[in-house]
Amino acid sequence: MTETSERDTGRVNELRLPALKIDQGRGRSLFTFAVDGKLVPEIATVSRIRRDRNTELHGYQRPEVLSHVAAIRRYIETDASPLLPNAIVIAFDERVRFESAPGDVPEAPGYVRAGTLVIPLIDGPEHERPGFIVDGQQRCAAIRDARVDRFPVSVNAFITSETSDQRSQFILVNSTKALPKGLIHELLPGASGALPTPLRVRQLPATLLERLNFDSLRSPLHRMIQTPTNPGGYIKDNSMLRMLENSLSDGALYRYRNDNGLPRTGEMLSLLYNFWAAVQEVFPDAWNKPSRKSRLMHGAGIISMGYLMDAISHVRDNGQELVSTEEFVADLKTVAEDCHWTEGEWTFLDGAVRKWNDIQNTPRDIQRVADLLQNRYRVPQLR
Amino acid sequence: MRFFFPDSQDQVDPTFDFVTEEHDPFRVRQRDDLYAHEVLTGAPFDGLLVSKAIVDGQVGSSAGKYTVAQRHRLYREGARRFFRLDHGNTPLKIMGDCGAFSYVSEVEPPYTVNEVIDFYHGCGFDYGISVDHVIFQYDPAASSDEAEQKGWAKRQRITLELAEKFRDRCDARGVTFTPYGVAQGWSPESYAAAVEKLQDFGYRHIALGGMVPLKSRDILACLAAVKPVLKDGMEVHLLGVSRCDDVPRFTEGGVTSFDSTSPFRQAFKDDRDNFYTPSRTYVALRVPQVDGNAKLKARIRSGEIGQGKAIELERKALDQLRRFDKDDTDVEAVVEALREYSDLWDGKSDRSSQYRETLTDRPWRDCSCDLCRKHGIEIAIFRGSERNKRRGFHNLYVFEQQVRARQARKDPA
Repeated sequence: MTETSERDTGRVNELRLPALKIDQGRGRSLFTFAVDGKLVPEIATVSRIRRDRNTELHGYQRPEVLSHVAAIRRYIETDASPLLPNAIVIAFDERVRFESAPGDVPEAPGYVRAGTLVIPLIDGPEHERPGFIVDGQQRCAAIRDARVDRFPVSVNAFITSETSDQRSQFILVNSTKALPKGLIHELLPGASGALPTPLRVRQLPATLLERLNFDSLRSPLHRMIQTPTNPGGYIKDNSMLRMLENSLSDGALYRYRNDNGLPRTGEMLSLLYNFWAAVQEVFPDAWNKPSRKSRLMHGAGIISMGYLMDAISHVRDNGQELVSTEEFVADLKTVAEDCHWTEGEWTFLDGAVRKWNDIQNTPRDIQRVADLLQNRYRVPQLR
Repeated sequence: MRFFFPDSQDQVDPTFDFVTEEHDPFRVRQRDDLYAHEVLTGAPFDGLLVSKAIVDGQVGSSAGKYTVAQRHRLYREGARRFFRLDHGNTPLKIMGDCGAFSYVSEVEPPYTVNEVIDFYHGCGFDYGISVDHVIFQYDPAASSDEAEQKGWAKRQRITLELAEKFRDRCDARGVTFTPYGVAQGWSPESYAAAVEKLQDFGYRHIALGGMVPLKSRDILACLAAVKPVLKDGMEVHLLGVSRCDDVPRFTEGGVTSFDSTSPFRQAFKDDRDNFYTPSRTYVALRVPQVDGNAKLKARIRSGEIGQGKAIELERKALDQLRRFDKDDTDVEAVVEALREYSDLWDGKSDRSSQYRETLTDRPWRDCSCDLCRKHGIEIAIFRGSERNKRRGFHNLYVFEQQVRARQARKDPA
C-alpha cells in the first residue's frame, strides 16, 4: 500500500506508509512500518566509516560482509517460505514526518498512535537520502541483490538530526553478545530448514553427540559431555565434536555418511558405543574424571583416541560386521602402556618428555599425543 | 625421461559453481576433490613426489598442507589409495622424499632414517629418497678448505652418512620400495665425488639435490662432471627443476627423471607466464575477488573506496569476459573493463597490452585438454584457487605434451 504524491515542484515525490508511532518516553518516539525491501535504498543509505583530509571521522558502518550477504540472498531466493522476522533500524532526519490518523481508537493505550509516515523521495546522490541504515545493512543488501520482485520487511525508525545519536544507537544494537557455541550445538539436532552453511555441516556431528550424551541404555558416554543442559559433564562438547568431525571426513564414520540419502547414524552410533566402551574398559582409572585429574577426558585425549578408533577400524574391518568392543579392547591394550593420562610422563616421537598434566589442549600437543599412539599402533605391523 | 609432480594437496572441487562461486556445503575436502590425474583424461605426469615435510607440516608449526585427520588417513590407507593413483587412465608411480628445503636452516635433518623408512614403506611408495641436507650455495671455485669452513663439506658428509645408513636399513628391513641415494654438493667436482660414493654404497638410483636455485648452465656443468663417473644403467633423478625449457639438455646429461612444480605454480605465481601453450605463454586475466584481495579489502574497510563501486567493476569485468567468450563483445571492451577494475585494486601496473594478446589469441580455444574444453575463458581468469589450480593443471598438460614431443623427435624409436 504505497502511495506517492506529486508536489507542486513536480520533482520531489514522497512515500506515504501506514505506521505506528510509539512513545518510549522523554520525547523519544519510535515509528514502526512495513516497506518493500527493494525500496529501502530509495529512502535510506549506509553511512560508511571514513576520515576526511582533516582526519575528521565520518559515518560509522562497516563494509558489507559479502559472504553473509550472499547467504541471506540465497535463502531469500531459494527457500520455500523465507522469513526475515527482524526489523531493519533506520534513523531519519527531520524531513520525515508522521501524520496521525483522524479519530481516536477507544481504549487504545496512550503510548501508541496509528497514522502515516511521510518520507520524501529525493532524486540525487545517495547521501541526500532522508535515512541512514543503523541495523540490517546485510539484509538490505541481500534483498537489493536478490532475484525476487519484492520482499516486504518490517522497519523500526527514529528521527534525529545528530550523527552522534545514530552512532550510539549503532553501537548499542551491534554490541550484543553472540550466542554461546555450546547452546547452538545443543539446539542443532532439533533445528530444521534454513541454517547458515557452517552450521548445516555441524548438524550431523551434533546429532551424534546428543545420542552419545543422552542414550542412557547404550552409551558408555552417558551424561559425560558438557553442554548447557548437562553442565556436569567432564568432556568439552567441542573436543567430542572435533573427534566426530575428523572421523566423518577421514575416518571410520565416513563410509556411513551416505551422501545420496540420510546418513546411517545407527551404524555410526554402534561403532562409537563399541569403541568408547572399550576405552572405558582399558583405562578405568582415567575414565569420567575432570580433565585436571585425567587427560583422557580432555581435548588431547578425546581427539587422539578418535584417531585410534579410525586406525583400529581400518585394520580390523572385514567389510561385514562392525568392529566389536572386544576387538577394540585387544588393540587398545597394545598402546595402553604408552599412555599417561593420570600420572607419569609421556615420551613423544620427537624425543620430548612431558609430565602427564603438562599436556595442553593445543594443536601441537594434540598432534604429539595422536602421532605417538598412531605410531605405537602401526609400527609393530610394519616391522 | 619421467616427470614427477610434487604434491602439496593441490586439487580442484568438481562441485564448484563458476557463476555463484560456491562449493557444495557438504563436500568433503580431498575425498570429493579431484587431482590433476583424475581431471585430465591422460595423467599429465608419470607419478607424484610426496614430501614428508609437506605431509607432516613444518617442524614446530601446526599449519601444514594436510589436516591431522588427512595425514593419519594417508598413513592408514597408503599412498595408492589416498592419492587414487589407479583412478585415472594411467596408473601412476609414487616417489617419496623428505622435503629438505623445509629444514635447510637446521643444523641436522630433523628426521631419523628409521622414521623416514617407516613413512615410505608404510605408505607403500615405489621409490624412496634417502634423508639429505641441502647445501644452498654454489661455488665451483671454492677450495676444500673453504667448503669445510662454510660448513658445505659437513652437510655433504651428513648426507652421505645418512645415505649409507638408509641403504643398510632398507636392505635389513627388506623394504618394498626402491631406494634412491641423494648427492649434495657445491660444485661439479663435489657432486661427482658424492655420486661415486653413493655407487660404492651399492645405489643403482641416484638423486641430485639442492639444484633448485642453480642456473641451468651450472646444472649442466654438474651433469657433465657426473656423467663420466656413472656406472652403466644408473637411474638419475634431478630434484626440483625450475627451468623446464632445459629438460631435453638434462636428458642428454644423463638424467632419467625429474620433478617440478613450475608449470603448475606459474599459473598463479608468475607475473607473466600464467597460461602455457605449445608455442608460447600468456598472461592470465586478473579479476581478483572483492573480498579476496587483501589490499582492496583494507582500502574498502578504511572508507577510501566504495565497496559498491568495487563490486560493480568486478562484475562488469567478469560479465565482459563471459560475453567475449560467446563472441558477444569485442577485445577492447573487455580490456577496458579489466583496466578499470585493475586501477582500483592494483593501480600500479597496466597489463592492457598483454591482456589484448591473451584475448585476441584465445589460446583456450585451441587447447584440447579436458579443462579448457569444459571451462572456456574461465580457465584464463586469474582469480581464486579453483580457477588458478585448473589453469595449473592445464599447464601441466601442455608441459607434459612438450616433454613427450621433444623426446619423440630425439628418439624416433
